Amino acid sequence: MAFPLPRGITPPEIAFLGEMEMVTILPRQRLEGLELLGGPVEPLIPPRRASMPLWLALLLKRQRRANILPPSWLHPEPLSFILDIETQNEDYQHTFSPPPRLPGQPSFRDRDEIANPRPQFTMDGDRYYPSSPFLPQNVAQESVPVGEPPALPYHWLEVGTMLLDAASDDLVDPDQIRRLLKELREVRMAKFRAGIDALDAAAMGGGGVALTGVGAMEVGEGRGFVTGVVNGLRKIGASKEQARREQMAEEMANGEYDGTQDEDYMDF
Amino acid sequence: MSYYDIDSILTDAQKLPCTFELEVPGLGILEGNPGENIKAGTKIDLPLWLGEMLSIGSGLGTSRLVTLDLPSALSERVINALKADPRSVDLRSLAPHFYSLSERTLELFEEEEMVDVLINTFKKRAEEIADHAHNPKGALGEGVEFLQGLDETERQLFRVAHDSAKAMRIWSGEAKKK
Repeated sequence: MAFPLPRGITPPEIAFLGEMEMVTILPRQRLEGLELLGGPVEPLIPPRRASMPLWLALLLKRQRRANILPPSWLHPEPLSFILDIETQNEDYQHTFSPPPRLPGQPSFRDRDEIANPRPQFTMDGDRYYPSSPFLPQNVAQESVPVGEPPALPYHWLEVGTMLLDAASDDLVDPDQIRRLLKELREVRMAKFRAGIDALDAAAMGGGGVALTGVGAMEVGEGRGFVTGVVNGLRKIGASKEQARREQMAEEMANGEYDGTQDEDYMDF
Repeated sequence: MSYYDIDSILTDAQKLPCTFELEVPGLGILEGNPGENIKAGTKIDLPLWLGEMLSIGSGLGTSRLVTLDLPSALSERVINALKADPRSVDLRSLAPHFYSLSERTLELFEEEEMVDVLINTFKKRAEEIADHAHNPKGALGEGVEFLQGLDETERQLFRVAHDSAKAMRIWSGEAKKK
């Protein structure tokens, strides 16, 4: 009770996490390599491009020591393409546009292929599968791979907003981008809200809301409300759930349980 | 639901109509005549915590002391109104802790249909709450009437949704921090 902040993390904290994303910069001055806690930063030699965490890139940008190359998705065309998917495409009427492809995931075109993730290895030889923020989703790409539709990364809203704030002169048509980001946000929040209808299924076991491709900031904003709704539904439905469980236990005891009535019970 | 949870304490204090099955000596104070006996068949509104306790006796083999009725906030009239249009019912005037009350009541009564109606009500109203909470005008817009009819659970929901939307606006610089 004494802790003044609500449960979950606040928008500035989410933005702080988003600052870990690697971006590409074009340095204007030389800088020797830095040994930071989050990993080494390569030496900056103009006009060679370099990748570094967003927070450092923003710092250098504010000091006019570097220019930031916008991520491949932060251009008007890919954004309006994504906005089209979000609003026009029948398949994505109730879900978010697909997130960027993870390494090893079959690309959008041949998605019937079985996913075959390629593991990476730590220095100790342990296998791991990288995920955001350790994937370079926000670096500028020389050429977009063929057949790869643009997609919004996990920290899209944070990175987009921060770059618009600090480095709008490096972006192509920043006003257009700002407008598109705002529209995307509104469309996706509306979808998030429409998911409430499906939440009771989620609270009662089975069913649920598809959140594939959701962004960090959207989760952060929806957290309090969604957990509140699910909690309320759970409490109201408690007696029904109790009856259901008793009935199921009875059926199990009578040997009538054939495992088809309730699949999530099978997992235990 | 903690011991110190003020909402759960207040829920406990809400009234439940009870009918006494036995004559109880000296309990007339509940009816407003101290010193008298309570006659069998008397109907009194008792707080939830007391009514719950008194009705439990039936399980022990003795005849039960009181029988419970559905609280007026969950009467058939209200349930029918909720079925017709969840948004137009003023839950707060029915019971300030409407959902907590119904949650406790449903533990005592087997009412399958009521559960479904209440779940649907909660969902429909939650959508409406989300809309109002994201509206920058907040509670000052045209939704005043609806928002005044929210029960405590829904008010908390509104507050959470409103606060997170506001925190977002402050972060993105659309609103001033106060």
